Order: sequence, then structure tokens, then C-alpha cells
Amino acid sequence: MAAWDLTVTVEDLGPDAPPLQISVASDLHIGGVILKLVEQTNLKKDWSDHALWWEQKQQWLLRTGWTLDKCGVHADARLVFTPQHKPLRLGLPNGATLKMRACFSSSAFRTVMGICRVLNLRHPEELSLLRPVDEKKKKKDKDSSEELYDLTDVPLTAGSVQALYNGMPAHFADSPKTEAVYKMLSVSLPSSAPEAIAKLYRPASVVDKTHIHTRWLDSSRSLMQQGIQENDKLWLRFKYYTFHDMDPKYDAVRLTQLYEQARWAILLEDIDCTEEEMMLFGALQYHIGKLSLSQDMVSSCQGMDDLESALKSLEVKMVGDSNSTDMLESMTAPELNDYLKIFRPKRLTLKGYKQYWCKFQDTSISYYKSKEDRYGEPIQQLNLKGCEVAPDVNVAGQKFCIKLLIPAPEGMNEIYLRCENEKQYSQWMAACKLASKGLTLLDISYQSEVKNIQTFLSMQRSNSAAPAAQTDDSINTHSLVSPRYQKKYKPKQLTPRILEAYQNVAQLSLTSAILKFLQIWQALPDFGISYFMVRFKGSRKDEVLGIANNRLIRIDLGIGDVVKTWRYNNMRQWNVNWDIRQVAIEFDGNINIAFSCVNADCKVVHEYIGGYIFMSTRSRQQSDTLNEELFHKLTGGHEAL
Amino acid sequence: MDDIDAMFSDMLQEMDLLTQSLGAEEESAPLPKPPSIPDPQQMNFSIGFTDFNASLHDLEDNDLDALMADLVADISATEEKFATEQDTLKGSAPVAPIPSQPQDNFSLPASTDTSRHATSSNSIAAPPPPPASKPSKEELEEQIKADKIKLALEKLKEAKVKKLVVKVEIMDGSSKTLMVDERQTVRDVIDNLFEKTHCDCNVDWCVCETNPDLQTERGFEDHENLVEPLSTWTRDTENKVLFQEKKDKYDVFRNPQNFYLWKKDKKSLKDMKEKDKEQLLEENFCGASVIVPDLEGVLYLKEDGKKSWKQRYFLLRASGLYYSPKGKTKASRDLVCLVQFDNVNVYYCKEYRIKYKAPTDHCFILKHPQIQKESQYIKYLCCDDEWTMTLWVTGIRIAKYGKQLYDNYKAAVRKAAGSATWANRSLQASSSASTPSPTPKARAANGHAPQPAVETKGSSNQTSFPPPPPSMETLPPPPPDPMMPPPPPAPPSATKVNKFPPPPQFPQSSFPPPPMDDLPPPPPPPEDSELPPDFLPPPPPIFSSCGGEALPPPPPDPIASLPPPPPAPQNFASAGGAPPPPAPPPPPPAPAPAANKPAGSIRKVAPPPPKRTTPQLAAPSGGDLMSELMTAMQKKRTQ
Repeated sequence: MAAWDLTVTVEDLGPDAPPLQISVASDLHIGGVILKLVEQTNLKKDWSDHALWWEQKQQWLLRTGWTLDKCGVHADARLVFTPQHKPLRLGLPNGATLKMRACFSSSAFRTVMGICRVLNLRHPEELSLLRPVDEKKKKKDKDSSEELYDLTDVPLTAGSVQALYNGMPAHFADSPKTEAVYKMLSVSLPSSAPEAIAKLYRPASVVDKTHIHTRWLDSSRSLMQQGIQENDKLWLRFKYYTFHDMDPKYDAVRLTQLYEQARWAILLEDIDCTEEEMMLFGALQYHIGKLSLSQDMVSSCQGMDDLESALKSLEVKMVGDSNSTDMLESMTAPELNDYLKIFRPKRLTLKGYKQYWCKFQDTSISYYKSKEDRYGEPIQQLNLKGCEVAPDVNVAGQKFCIKLLIPAPEGMNEIYLRCENEKQYSQWMAACKLASKGLTLLDISYQSEVKNIQTFLSMQRSNSAAPAAQTDDSINTHSLVSPRYQKKYKPKQLTPRILEAYQNVAQLSLTSAILKFLQIWQALPDFGISYFMVRFKGSRKDEVLGIANNRLIRIDLGIGDVVKTWRYNNMRQWNVNWDIRQVAIEFDGNINIAFSCVNADCKVVHEYIGGYIFMSTRSRQQSDTLNEELFHKLTGGHEAL
Repeated sequence: MDDIDAMFSDMLQEMDLLTQSLGAEEESAPLPKPPSIPDPQQMNFSIGFTDFNASLHDLEDNDLDALMADLVADISATEEKFATEQDTLKGSAPVAPIPSQPQDNFSLPASTDTSRHATSSNSIAAPPPPPASKPSKEELEEQIKADKIKLALEKLKEAKVKKLVVKVEIMDGSSKTLMVDERQTVRDVIDNLFEKTHCDCNVDWCVCETNPDLQTERGFEDHENLVEPLSTWTRDTENKVLFQEKKDKYDVFRNPQNFYLWKKDKKSLKDMKEKDKEQLLEENFCGASVIVPDLEGVLYLKEDGKKSWKQRYFLLRASGLYYSPKGKTKASRDLVCLVQFDNVNVYYCKEYRIKYKAPTDHCFILKHPQIQKESQYIKYLCCDDEWTMTLWVTGIRIAKYGKQLYDNYKAAVRKAAGSATWANRSLQASSSASTPSPTPKARAANGHAPQPAVETKGSSNQTSFPPPPPSMETLPPPPPDPMMPPPPPAPPSATKVNKFPPPPQFPQSSFPPPPMDDLPPPPPPPEDSELPPDFLPPPPPIFSSCGGEALPPPPPDPIASLPPPPPAPQNFASAGGAPPPPAPPPPPPAPAPAANKPAGSIRKVAPPPPKRTTPQLAAPSGGDLMSELMTAMQKKRTQ
């Protein structure tokens, strides 16, 4: 067979080096070509990761057994000999950017699997890669400011089970640098400044929310094929909102990153919530942030232990702090005794606060005219069990009130207790809070409750005194809520509201707080819906199609109302007409719908639907094995199902 | 203490008379207990008695009187019953609730306790008595000592437990009185009521509270504790506790589509496949967080402090009930929160059209459970039709209780399935036992209702089956007393008796008088003495384990005789001509009674057990309560 010259660029020879010409015949297989090529370079190195990339056709020549003829390569082909794994800048859900090697030659699905394996994220099928938003505009300032975590030196291991070392996968324990990366992955990051949040892109409408879905990579094609270059930036995100088999024991990174993604979705108003929900989210963020900080201190001495053990030691610390031993020594039931001002708002009375001697015992407050009367009958005894406790505090104004709503057969009795100072307030407030749950001062959580209240107060203090300065302990409450509420409330107004919500979550451990956050997020009515702009067959206007894990939703753009929902379990089949780029779906009862996608590729829609169906096939038993073939079958779109 | 003793013997004598008057000589040895029982009981109240006494003093006289009246009524009721129904009763009696409380009191404590013990101990003692392997004396002593300690600890714990005597009205106009302690969930109470009422035990049965002031009704959720909400009632309350079937209690789990796909047209939902329903439940209740039905629509809201009702567009979210203010969109950010569910419950209301001029009678309110009267802190809502109301109330319950509700349902379904089979079995058993004259076979059947005689013919068989343990779980304590609340032995430090007039306890009368028929004639005292030595050994172990409640360990000897019951009965039976009880199940319950009573009594006890699903709850010995009540009353009177 006739020999001809094949032009191959070898990247490792440098950007300016001319392409190599090697003489080949059409029946030479790819492996042979590579062999010749390597001999010709005279470079001694590990070439095992290299493969041939065919530039014009945008495809890899990975089958080393195939001949050039079979691959269709002729003399006019320009091939590049290049590594299959290249560094990629990965934008993580928590906003950090991590540089690491990823596979550019396998399907994006596999690439994500590889990435997740390194990051110690289970269930990679729930994640995917997408192109970042507006990269070009901000490139200049970003490159300078962006803090880069680097994992490029970490080899991609093939084994799926990795040994733990110091509570983290062994490949993170290599150096302080990689340990820091693991910490970044597994511990939630401190809140950003409110100004920074306000600057980020926020979708203003459902239409805006459809844009993100134009950017997903195609799972069945490789990164190179989709035009991703070495050192490009891609976002790694949870794409399918169905989180299989979440287990805090093994899912430190997954849980943290999911929390971060949820948190940012809320902060950036990607998902709508009510004011009450926002306050609770804010309180949980504050709590999680605070616990994450203290976790650092614990774990720094013993490496990154898993969340649980770290939390345990934290607990022990707290218990040790409390003076429960004192209590035991004296053997008397603890009480609080003090002069407080009491105010009972009643209609048509102008009476203000009046001072009484108050005694807090068990779950009740008794008050007397004066300290001298304390052995007599109290003026009144208030049993706080089941009552509602709300703070009414303004540190700047030195106002420390506790508002009690005490249930009684006739309704709720409203009573205000006014304390003199922070210390008194935090003690009484903590006692009221516990009593409302039926706990007494003896409860071990009392001291930590007092402490929590104090820290929160100090946060408010530093806010009002010097809004710019932020210490570890104090964060601006504005950074806990979305810009809408930043605008609506001043920190002074916001803090008490978050404090109020915080009372209910202050006792949660770090993991439970994160789980609680995710739980509330997942209970939002709009949770897990991905929006696509589509045009239904026979309709003249654009509409929005929402894709969720169990249903499709047709939304009228004009009024934003749900017009119709179809559930997957009624779905007979769906397919894509690639020529006219139309998705057609058939449901039980002869219901047929068809639509074309306005801004996203219909492959993305197809993949979303198929992906969710794939997710629903996962079962608990086989959680370890990922049926990749089935995934591609459901999402590939090459054959109609 | 003397008083008490006197009271006791009085009572016992009365019982004797009663039973004797029943006359069924052949079948029944009158309750044998008198002599033997007193001891244990004394023991019981010696612990924590003062507390209970004190708490009883808090009760108003009429409460006590009412309770007493109840008891007396019961006695007379039984008398009547016996008179009229004697013939019919005979064999089957056991199944039926025991009418006479007094009897219960006496017999119960012992039997329950032992049965309990048996359960716990069964691993040790339960085994076949016959084998007659005697533990060494030291072992026994040690065992006893350990048991005493255990007992003491348990008593201490028990003493702090709050208990209420609750009268529960049943749909047919009758009522049951039972004692509920604060650890019991509504589920436990329902199970208890199942035993007492012999209803069909389906999942729709529900304990509800009504408030005539507010004209509200709410079904307690199965996981709630009953005592807590009841103790917030005012003293002079006319609130009632009802036991009734409520279709909407778990409808959401039978027909989730009606709630979760409520927007779709009804027709397509009607014939939804079971599989799809299951999937709906899976999606909404089995995820990381429970999904609340996406209810939205116009409801009327009664304006604060005014008489007018205003239409508002409401939306239900997991975080609370919201409405969108006029002129705003339905977007989450614009919603106004009417109420969050942490501190409120949702109540159905009746006839608000008249009371509050509501647009329709389909109203519900949200209020703190402690609020018992009209108040500005109550949120009043009104729906266009009944279904809408059910939808919202159910939605709110889901938002408030989340997955717990689903767990409750699954537990209820399991329960219902279980009790159905038991009920069948016991029915068969009782029917087979219907012959009055206790032939061995018949007796056996009675005793071991669940497990027909076939299995066990000889004592050897019995030995092989450690019957007691298994039966124990399903077959709780002595069935007999429907009426008797499971009065816990230990006096509650704070007992509050919500007593209503003694009324209709008669329904019971319809049930055959339990115990008497089977009771073997042998006079109790002799029996004790008669007990073969062999038996003695086994008892101790059992006893020890049981030690907990009613049976005071103190007098080792007598006790010893008591505990062994399981074995003893069998032997007796065989000896006395009674067929060896085949059924392992009966032994457990039997043991206690056996000690006090003739073997025969055991049998009768046995049948009921099958029904009882939750033994422990019922377990508390009635005797304590009774005796304590009596003393309390006496003291009051003497004062």
C-alpha cells in the first residue's frame, strides 16, 4: 500500500514547533501511528495519557486498533497529539475555583465521574458541567482576584474506594495545600459581603431562569468536542434535584457543596421564598457559618476528622463549660432572681413598665412586689411551658425586652420583660426559651443557649458600631439574605428578625443544621424545577416548560401561572426529531405534546427528562454501581425510546 | 393502712358474694383471690402511696364520688349481667370485657403484672415449669434481690408519671373510662379502646376532643400524647373526648391523588392505579423533606376582632399559611404569613354560620392548644364547601406533622391487620368453648384462644414451646376488664381525674361476664398451699423479672407460689382434669391469676389476651387505683 505523509502536531514540543510529518500507510492502525510519532519526537516521557485529536472533525481517535482507513483519516487531516487529561478551572457550587485535571476525551458524563471521584463526591450522575455566565466581561478583574485552589498534581485514581487518612481521602492528605483544598470542599465557606452578593448576576424573571439551561454541556460528548480548551473555566453543579441516599457519614463534601448551591440559589433569588422562610434561611446560615468556624479550630489539631466526631468534641466542650457541677454541688434547683421590669399591654391602659422582683424556677416566673416580699405569695406566677418567646432587642438603644405570649384558655397573655443589660437578658431569655419547651435551667443546653444569645447580640453591637469592620464572630446580617431583603430592611431591623428565627435552630448540630437547610429548601414549592423557553406545537407564543423530577409543567409567560402539569409516570414515550429539533412526548390517554426549544438546545431538554427518569431507576441496593449505559440510553437521544 | 385493709376485705367479700350469687358452681370457683391478694396490694401502695393520696385529695369530692359510683354501677351491672346471662356466658366469657371493675381491680393487678414479667422474664422463667429444674437457693435469693431493686427503681419512676382518668364517649352513646398515663400515645389509647369496645379496629378510628365553647373538634394524631393536651383543659370544662371513625384521618394516604393532584379533574383521579398512588406517596412523603400539597385558593378569613369575613387568596407552604395581599402577585416574596404551624393546631368547627356569621358552615380554626375560649389569637377560616375544608385541614396537618403522619398511618395499618386476625381467632376460640361444662378440651380452647388445642396436648409439648413469651407480646395482660383503666400501680404524683358522671358503663353488660365461668372451683387458699413444691422453683425467676409492678417481692414464699403460675396452671389443669393447656400463649397471662386463683381462672383470662395488642399499657394494676381511691375517699369523709 502506498505510503503518504500524515501531519501531526505534538503539543509537548512547544507551541512554536512545526508539526511532525510521519510517513504512514492507510492500513496502519492508530497505535502504530502513535508509536512512530513518539519515536520521532525523541522525547523520553510518559506518553500513556496522550491520544490523537482530529481537529477538522472535532473528534478523538481513541481506538488504537482501528486503521487510518477505517477512521477515515487521509493526508489532508490535521491531527494533534495531546494529553487526554488537561487542567480545568472548575467553579464549585460554593463559589471557589479549583484547578484540577479532567478528562477531555471521554464523555462529559465520565469526566464528571472522574472529577467527583477526586473530590470525594458520591453520586456523580446528579452533577454536570456548564459554561459559566458572562465569563468574558469580568475576565480581567476575576483573574486577579480569584483565589485558586490547585489539585492538578493529584493523580486521577481509578479505584473507587479510597482509603481515608486523617478523616479525608488519602489523596488529600499529601500536603498542607491539598488538605486546605479538602477543607474548602467539606466545610462551608464564610458568607460573602452583601455588596459582593448584590453584584452577582441574579435572574429577574422566569425567562432569565431559562438562560442557565442553555449552558449545560452535552453529557454524551467529550469536553474537547464541545470546544472546551485547556484551562477553561466550567462550573460544576448539581443538575438533577433528586439526591439519592444522602448520608452525612460519607457525604461531607457532597452535603457541603449541595448546601452551598442551595444557599446561593436562595441568596441570588434563583428560587423564591417568603420573608419568613428567608429569615429562617438566614438564621441557619448564620448558625452553620458559626459552627463551621469553630469546627476549624477543633479539626486543625487532629486533621480533618469527619463531621461527626468533630461535633462530638464540640459538644463535650460545651458541656464542660456549663457550671452544672456547681449546681450539683449545691443540690438546689437553680433559679434566676432579679429585678425586672414587667409590662402587660392592655387596651385602653397607658401603664408602662413596672419593676418587680422576679424569680425564675423550673418553667415558671413568679414575680413579687419587691425582694423583701419574695417569701410570700407572688403577685402572679407565669408558667412558660408552651409559650411563645420573642426577642425585642435594640442593642444600640440598650433595649433588651423579652416578649412572652403565654397561652391561656382565654387566649394568649402578652407580657414584656425588660432587662437591664445584655447579660441579664441572655440569661433570662435562654431560660424562657428552654421553659417554653418544657426544659428547666438544669438542662445542659442552658449555658450554650446563653452563649448563643450573647454572640448574637455582640453581632448586632458590632454592626451598629462599625458596620465595616467584621470580626470572625460577627457578620453582617445583610450577607445572610438576598439583595431584596437587604434593600427592604436595615441591619438593625433585620437582626432581630433573624435572631427570632435563630432561637429555633440554635441547638442544631452542624450536620443537622445543614440538613435542615436543605430540607426547607426542598420543601419550597418551586424547588427543583428547571425552566426552559419553548414553543408548543400549534402555539404562537413562547411559553416556559418546567422540568422537575416527577413532572413537566407548562407555564404561561404572561401571567406566570401553571397551565398544566404532566407526570412522568403517565408518560408513554418521548422522542426528539433532530431535523426539526422538536421534542415529542406521549402520555397515557392519547395525550400528545410537542414543542421546540427557543433558547436551549433540545438535547438539553431531552437529557433532562431522560436524566430524571434515570434517577428514578436508582434503588437503594445498587447505590454503588452506576448504570452508565442506561444513562446514555435515556439521555443520548440517538434512538427513540 | 388498716383502713385500706378493711376496705379491701370488704370489697373482696362483696366480690365473693357476687360470684357466689352467680351460682355457676361448676364452672366457677369464685374469685379466689381474697386471701392471697391483699399482700401484694399492700405492697403496692406502700410505695408512693402518699403522693397519690395527696393528689386524690386535690380532686373534688364529686369526682371521687363519680368514680366510685362508676365502680358500684359496674358491680351491679355485673350482677345483673350474671343473672341474666349466666347461661350463655359459660365458656366464652373470657373474651368479653369483664364487667365488674372491682374484680378487675383485684384480679388484674396480679395477672397483669405477672404477665408482664413473664414477657420480660420469659427467656428465663417462661420455659416449661415441669422440668422442675430448681435454681439454687442463693441464685433465687439473688434474683429476688435484684428484682427488688429493679422494682424499687421502677416504682420511683412510675411515681412521677402523670396519669389521668379519662372518660371516652363512643359513637353509640356509651362511654368507656380508662386511665391514661403521660407516656402513652394516642395510638396506645386507641389500641386500648379497641380491646374494650370490640369495634372493627380499622385505621379510621380516632380519639377526638371537642370543645363546646368554640364548637370545635380535632382528632388527635396517633403519635401525640393524650395527657398533655387534656391537662390544659380548664377545670370546669365541658370538653369531651370521643372515640369515633374519621374518614379524613388517613384519607390522604389512601387517596393521595385527591390531595396532591387536586387541581386535576376528579374523574381521572378516581380510578388511579394503586401503583401510581404509591408512587405519589413515595414522592411526597419519602424524600428528604415532606412535600406539602400545593393548595391555593380563596378562603374567607374572619377579621381580627370583627364580625366580618374577608375573602383572601391563600396558599399553603411547608412553612406556614400565607395569603397574597390585595393588588399583589402570588409570588412568594409578596406573600403575607397568616400563621406558622409550630404552635398551633387545626380544628374543625361546627355551625359557625350561626355562631360567627360565617359565609358557610365549613370552617376551621388555627389556635394554640391551650386556648379554650374565643380569642383574638384564634385564626378563623371558612371554605366554600366541605371538601375544600378537608383539603386544607389535611394539608395543614401534613405541613405540621410531616412524615410522622405517614408513619402513624403505616403503624395503624399494621395494627389493623394484626387485630383483625386476632379478632378472628378469638372468635373461633370462644365459639368452640361455648359449652358450659368445662370439658378439658373446651377449657383449653378458651384459654388459648389463639392457638388451638391441637398443638399442645401434653405438658411436654408445652415445655417445648415457651409459650409465654410469644403470647406475651401480642397478648397482653388480662383481658377481662374493658372498663378498668389500666391504673398504674404507682401513684402518680399529680393525678388529675377528669371524671364525668359514671354513666353508661353498661354496654359492657352486653359482654359476657368474663372470669367466673371458667374459674375452677378450688378454693384459693388451699390452692396455694397445694401447689406442688416443684412448681415453686420456677416461679421465682419469673417473679423476679416481673418484679416491677404489682407483685411485691417481699414475702418470698407466698410470692414464689404466685409466680410459678405458668407451670402451675398446667399441672393443675392436668391434675384437676383440666386439659393441659396447649396454648403457650395463655400461660403468660395466666400466671398471675393462677397464683391467686384456681387454675381455671387462668384459662378464662387467656382468651382475651389475643386481642390486646399493647399489654403494658393496660397493665397497671387496677387494684392500686381502687384501693387508693377508697382510702382517699374515706379520709375525705372522715374529715
